[in-house]
Amino acid sequence: MLSQIVVNIIIAASLYLLISKSFSIVFFTAKFFDITQAGIISFAAYFAFLFYKQIGFDFWLTVITSILLAASLGVIVEIIFYKYLQKVNADSLVLFITSLGIYIVFQNAISLIWGNSARSINAGEIKVGNEIFGGYITTTQLIAICTSIVLFIGSSLFINNSRTGKKMRAISSNAKLSYIFGIDYKSVLLCSYFIGSALGAVAGLLVAFDTGITPTMGFNLLLSGIVVVIIGGIGSDWGLIGGSLLLAIAQNLIAYYLSSQWMNAIAYVILILFLIWKPLGFSGKRLKKIEI
Amino acid sequence: MEYVLHILIIILLYVMLSQSLTLTAGYSNLISLAHAGFYGIGAYTTAILSVNYGLPFLVTLPIAMLVSGMLAVIVSVIALRTVDDYFIIITLGIQVVAFSIMNNWMSLTHGPLGISGIPTLTIFGFAFNSKISFLILTLVLTAIVYYFLRNITKSPFGRILLALSEDEIFTKSLGKKVYSAKVISFTLGEMFAAIPGVLYAHYISYIDPTSFTIEESIFILAIVIIGGMKNLWGSAIAAAVLIILPQALTFIGMPNNIAANMRQIIYGLALVFMMFKYSKGFVSKNYVGQENK
Repeated sequence: MLSQIVVNIIIAASLYLLISKSFSIVFFTAKFFDITQAGIISFAAYFAFLFYKQIGFDFWLTVITSILLAASLGVIVEIIFYKYLQKVNADSLVLFITSLGIYIVFQNAISLIWGNSARSINAGEIKVGNEIFGGYITTTQLIAICTSIVLFIGSSLFINNSRTGKKMRAISSNAKLSYIFGIDYKSVLLCSYFIGSALGAVAGLLVAFDTGITPTMGFNLLLSGIVVVIIGGIGSDWGLIGGSLLLAIAQNLIAYYLSSQWMNAIAYVILILFLIWKPLGFSGKRLKKIEI
Repeated sequence: MEYVLHILIIILLYVMLSQSLTLTAGYSNLISLAHAGFYGIGAYTTAILSVNYGLPFLVTLPIAMLVSGMLAVIVSVIALRTVDDYFIIITLGIQVVAFSIMNNWMSLTHGPLGISGIPTLTIFGFAFNSKISFLILTLVLTAIVYYFLRNITKSPFGRILLALSEDEIFTKSLGKKVYSAKVISFTLGEMFAAIPGVLYAHYISYIDPTSFTIEESIFILAIVIIGGMKNLWGSAIAAAVLIILPQALTFIGMPNNIAANMRQIIYGLALVFMMFKYSKGFVSKNYVGQENK
């Protein structure tokens, strides 16, 4: 049983790692809590459902088109809605509530098109899974863990080393100064939206192929991601890893000892405890506005 | 006719909910997504007390407000370590925790089964079992809540709230107790949120956790924002419009579940639209001008 819990923790932690990374890439440059990401995660999963089950594309074509479509959706939202608000220097609170409104529209659009009930993409084939040290893990989950970790490392390397990544970091630390140095704020922002949304879309697909899809799946996933980002500290990769592990361990232990229904609540209990005792997160980097 | 009365009662409940949130979110800029949680706490307190112990409305109402208020003090002490978007995230967390407790504490709340058989509301032997009498009672309570909120917002305390929502540090420098003003504002808002909860529990006579979800909190916040943040009458009108809208959509022949989704899409778009209007921040120049007149 213990090894099964460990396996479950690793599965959950790798997923949180990917989502927190996708969220923090957008937060890094745009500096607000973008709830629309939750809608994009759900949309990616439903695009996969549309292409794979309803139209009948093959697997790889489904994956590529869903990710591209979902990522472009993120970019379109930025162009239509956030661009103007960012131009007039709107408060991060205003952007936050805007994104909440867009998320509500997205979620209900999904409900209108595909219905409210849960659906499954991989119907029919239920496998026992591979046994590792006494714990069972399906091939899909194994792929999910590897994909998440590879993408996490890849995106971290991209941000730390590539030209665009360096521009992102410049904008993140001081937008005005980087503008003076001739960095094109808008295109870098669009780039970070594209990467962030694409990573979120991958997370959505991984969950979709593993457990199934509901219109609200993105919201729950993104909230875990936000909790990880806050307890880990923004802009710190090790913080994100620690945060994902802490959250996954706490959720799986509470599911084992109490009931799986408390999993969402424990995430917030951890968040609240962190804000009381360690308001700067693991990394100790100062979050904007956390204290006056 | 019964149907119209039912809609009116629901509207009045939401008027109370949104006006109490107007005090917290509008006047003191503490945008809370935990409002439905406190609404639920009011409903559950009265349901448990009246079903298990047979206590009358006039006893359960103050107890529900007190429970809600005490929890609000604890919550605000935690949540007020943060401001703005972090505050919203914390209240969102508190909402999720409150929902989990309602949904999972089987021995107290019966979990997803909910509590049924809540007795009819009685005051001094008069049973409010007809819709029209319940409507009148709700109207009276709404008027009382409105009266209190209006007087609070017009009082010197209301001006402190207004000042701190514009510039917290400056208000502090004037020697005003910003932190305690925020705690009081949050607590009062959530205490008033318990009243519609109590009424709702007696009116429907059955409650389950799905009435007090995060979607409900977002909906109440949307009412407040669409109503104009610092506008009690605005919230009342927005509440009426947003409740009547899906009914109107079903009336013109739209299926029920589609109408529910359409309502949410409309208020989502309305939120986005209002944010474009508020893009310079919630403190508009107009408002300050009106105050000076």
